[in-house]
Amino acid sequence: MELELHKDVKDRLGELRTLSERVEDGDNSARKELRRALRESAPEVISQASDIGRRGQRVLIKTVAANDPLTEEALVARLELMRADIAGPDPSPLEVLLTERICSLWLLIEVLEWLVSAQLSGDLPREQRSPMSFLQHVFKWQESANRRFLCAIRELARVRKLQNNVPGVQVNTQINVASTESQRGEEPNC
Amino acid sequence: MGLEKRNGHVYYYKSRRDGEKVRKVYVGAGDFAHLAARQDEAERLRREEEVAYWEAERERLERSTAFLGELEEAAEVLIRAYLLASGFHQHKGQWRRQRGA
Repeated sequence: MELELHKDVKDRLGELRTLSERVEDGDNSARKELRRALRESAPEVISQASDIGRRGQRVLIKTVAANDPLTEEALVARLELMRADIAGPDPSPLEVLLTERICSLWLLIEVLEWLVSAQLSGDLPREQRSPMSFLQHVFKWQESANRRFLCAIRELARVRKLQNNVPGVQVNTQINVASTESQRGEEPNC
Repeated sequence: MGLEKRNGHVYYYKSRRDGEKVRKVYVGAGDFAHLAARQDEAERLRREEEVAYWEAERERLERSTAFLGELEEAAEVLIRAYLLASGFHQHKGQWRRQRGA
């Protein structure tokens, strides 16, 4: 399963990064170019990245479900609910992208939790236990995933706060997020 | 560490680290030496296989989470570009609206 952005999308990201740097360096003409590039590139980048996020989530779900269809279905449903809950009723494309990022990191944290608790369980035979060197890797991943998860939540809160009173750059892209009656949650306090 | 032949006899020694020094420890001679050497070799191979297995497991997990890097990169570049294009600028890590933007 392909879990990488296409080369042309990476090129577009590179162009956006370069233009952003020019704007930050005080090049006023670059802002206009950045708006144009965003209009042209953002829909494709957002749609591809969101798609990769979802496909990656399926891979992780398969890992954690270990061929148990009930766990697999439960996790898919849980992610759908979570996605709808975080994105809210009418998410902007950026919110959709950040929602995928948050959901993916939440799932990774779950996978790592499951891995550690399985390893620390007293029922696991000694010969099936992973060595401490492997568990140390897992602990590092856990730390990093938790940090990135909180960072992604903070980014979403920041984008929402700044988007509230900014007409900004309109990016038209259609990404289907499962409908829900749940309301957008409060901004995290972090 | 290994089997040593001296005066037509076979002896088996192991190496033991003692602080900074490595000491040679006598294990046995004759048939017992051959047996102990084979056992140690089997144990070494088992440990190597185990290390390779967990290394492969770690790589497999890393591959299945690599998509997160792509997702994060895209989100970060887009957010920054979006905010700059909307008239924000970063001041000491904090995003601020530019006057007149």
